[in-house]
Amino acid sequence: MKKHYFIFAGLVLVGILYPQMFPGYLSVAITLLLYAGWATAWDILGGWAGQVSLGHASFVGLGAYFVAVGTAHHEIAPWWSILMALVAAAMLAYLWGRLTFKLKGPYFTLSTIAIAEIFRLIAINEGWLTGGATGVFIMTLPEPFGLDLFSRQVNYYLALAFAAITVLVVMLISRSKFGYQLRAVREDEDAAMASGINPTTVKLKAFMLSGALTALGGGIYAIFLSFIEPHIIFYLLLSVQIALTAIIGGRGTIWGPCVGALLIVGSGEIFRTTFAEANMLIYGLLIMVVVIFMPRGIVGEPARYLIRRVYAKRAQG
Amino acid sequence: MPSALKADGITVAFGGVVAVNDVSLDVEQGKILGLIGPNGAGKTTLFNALTGFVTPQEGRIYLHGNEITRLPPYMRTRVGIGRTFQTERPFEELTLLENVLVAAFLKEPKRKKAEQLAMDVLEKVGLADRYDQPALDLNLARRRRLELAKALAVQPSVLFLDEMMAGLNPPALKEMIEFVRRLTDQNLTIVMVEHIMEAIIELSDHVIVMANGSVITEGLPRDVIEDPRVITAYLGED
Amino acid sequence: MFDYVSFLQNLSNGVLIGGVYALIGVGLTLVFGVMKIINFAHGDFVILGMYCAVLLNSLLGWDPYLSLLVAMPLGFLTGALLQRLVLSRLMEAPPESSLLVTLGLALVIGNILLLTFGAEPKSVNVSYASSTVSLGEVSFSMILLLAGLATMVVIAGLYTVLNHTELGRAIRATADNRLGAELVGINTRWIEAVVFGIGMALAVTAGVVLIPLLFATPTFSGAIFTLKAFVVTVLGGLGNIGAAIAGGLLLGVVEVMGASYLTSDYRDAYGLLVFLLILLLRPEGLFGKTVKRV
Repeated sequence: MKKHYFIFAGLVLVGILYPQMFPGYLSVAITLLLYAGWATAWDILGGWAGQVSLGHASFVGLGAYFVAVGTAHHEIAPWWSILMALVAAAMLAYLWGRLTFKLKGPYFTLSTIAIAEIFRLIAINEGWLTGGATGVFIMTLPEPFGLDLFSRQVNYYLALAFAAITVLVVMLISRSKFGYQLRAVREDEDAAMASGINPTTVKLKAFMLSGALTALGGGIYAIFLSFIEPHIIFYLLLSVQIALTAIIGGRGTIWGPCVGALLIVGSGEIFRTTFAEANMLIYGLLIMVVVIFMPRGIVGEPARYLIRRVYAKRAQG
Repeated sequence: MPSALKADGITVAFGGVVAVNDVSLDVEQGKILGLIGPNGAGKTTLFNALTGFVTPQEGRIYLHGNEITRLPPYMRTRVGIGRTFQTERPFEELTLLENVLVAAFLKEPKRKKAEQLAMDVLEKVGLADRYDQPALDLNLARRRRLELAKALAVQPSVLFLDEMMAGLNPPALKEMIEFVRRLTDQNLTIVMVEHIMEAIIELSDHVIVMANGSVITEGLPRDVIEDPRVITAYLGED
Repeated sequence: MFDYVSFLQNLSNGVLIGGVYALIGVGLTLVFGVMKIINFAHGDFVILGMYCAVLLNSLLGWDPYLSLLVAMPLGFLTGALLQRLVLSRLMEAPPESSLLVTLGLALVIGNILLLTFGAEPKSVNVSYASSTVSLGEVSFSMILLLAGLATMVVIAGLYTVLNHTELGRAIRATADNRLGAELVGINTRWIEAVVFGIGMALAVTAGVVLIPLLFATPTFSGAIFTLKAFVVTVLGGLGNIGAAIAGGLLLGVVEVMGASYLTSDYRDAYGLLVFLLILLLRPEGLFGKTVKRV
């Protein structure tokens, strides 16, 4: 576990220094950090609790809209909006989970898609609340401690903080009672119950945590974009990309989603200049290859092998 | 001696089929109850009803005098019921220690103490030297012992064993019987479903025989096994 | 005064479009019933059918129904190959794996179409696009009518195959009990490829039949159709063909009615809401067997 903390500290350090080293490449870094954070947050539900959601854009949208509408229409400072968004996200997750967790795996996933779609339709049609299909522009933002929230650098540090928070949360979970409860429930609900665990409570907690963290990223996303509209926010493809990032990187691992984000955003950047549409084609092929041949993801497969190696060595040594 | 587990008139029906028909039992603390009968007699269903995995249509269940009929399985575990599953259900992605840790966390929410408890239990079942082995890689006998360890780690007062002895070779069987016998030294009450008569005879203080959902007789192990009705019940299924 | 004419109009439109939805749903539920695969790319198979018709129309001037002669067999073969080469590796994996792999497949198909045809929505203009047939005061659009007819023929054909042929018997046996089917000598691997092929052929047919009515977009509409297919199958219970048909009709009617009598802005949402309601209240579908927990 110690080595995880070292890696974390090292990465944060690199993260802090990055804008000094590559001031021209902040936007792509922000995108990478957002996806890393979203995927890590998604993974709490999708990897640790084992419930695959393809509707996490709902939470991104919740965060984004609270901030955008709050700032543009009601003059509420972003930090209060984000706080409200976190509460709203947790409540949404609670209700949604309560209603749908009794559904078997694939049905749950389908329900997540349906709910995200409904959000999109509401966002498009209820203009009085959300600005409708034309979206919301963020024109002015307050200046906390004199910081210009529109500046790329500030956005970058916000995104870095977001990603760091999500990874920290997962690291804490992995050693705790909650983390073991999650894994037990994911593997075998009945055996988990026999060990005294209430699967529904565990899944609900995971969902609420996952949703709230995702919404946090959504709020930062809105500040970054300064303009949001239903099509880009409550977007099925966004949900799918978040899920894929975590799955390809490795579900249920600490660093898997970050590695996935690096891979996917990285390749997206490389291809952006040559073959933009081919990007999604590659994601598609990648997910097929990973799920069939490396179901535990890029980080998960070697991790598994290592655990066996370590045991074998100790047993013989 | 006080009653550890009491069941009154348990009836379980699925669709039109009555799997368990008005079964009652009462186990004293520290004693071992053996549950035997041919396949399809309703033993596992009764087991599942007592541990909360199946809801009986009728009947009540009491643990140390407190009614637990309506409690879901995880609540029953929290008030002192531990169980194993007939087909072992280890958490395959976790190591042995982690498997037991999951259960140990119930009584010890802090990681250090939970780990200590888990290691102690692994010691007891003789798996401590494999604490970091992935559960996926175990052979049958060790999977059995892991299953037992997980049930013991919740520190139950009543332990339900579902065909713990099946498929074990003679030395492993002897070991397991000895192990179960020693468990009652700590005042643990045990209910076991078994097909292996050697275990039933050596361990049970009292035996209940089921066939077609009902209790056909009960009593001391030796008496019950030589009862002609029991013999016909078993032969009848062949 | 209740407007009977427009009510009947809406009802009949709903039923006709529902028939096509049923076709889509039946393909999905058949695949699930036999192989327990949840095919996320099913909607994209429909889109493939649409583009096939578009291509044949723009190259050779073919009417969509003519292109069925090419599309159906092609769809069948492609589906069978896909199953044999790719999806058969998932037999041991948990059900969510098939969901993820087919999701990847959907992305692959969608983006290949995007690269080939571009992002502009495409359709096919047929000469009879605006003709109608009247029954009393109710008029049916020719396109919808033909679509409904085609659907009925195809489903009747499927029914015949499933219930009155040796192949159908083998399929039903495999769906019921794979091990048992193998024990009596059925080549289940081959059956699975055939079934997936049939599923894809059905989806492709639905696409071809729909193209005069709708626009095809390479990536977005695939997901919408997949979602509709799932709504249909869930309404009926995954694996139950007759119920999928009923589900499709129900969805068609709910959509058209909702759009007419409530607001058309939320047209797609009505199906989704009903879907969610069914999932929550009766997850085994309107006709499925009760799912016992333990």
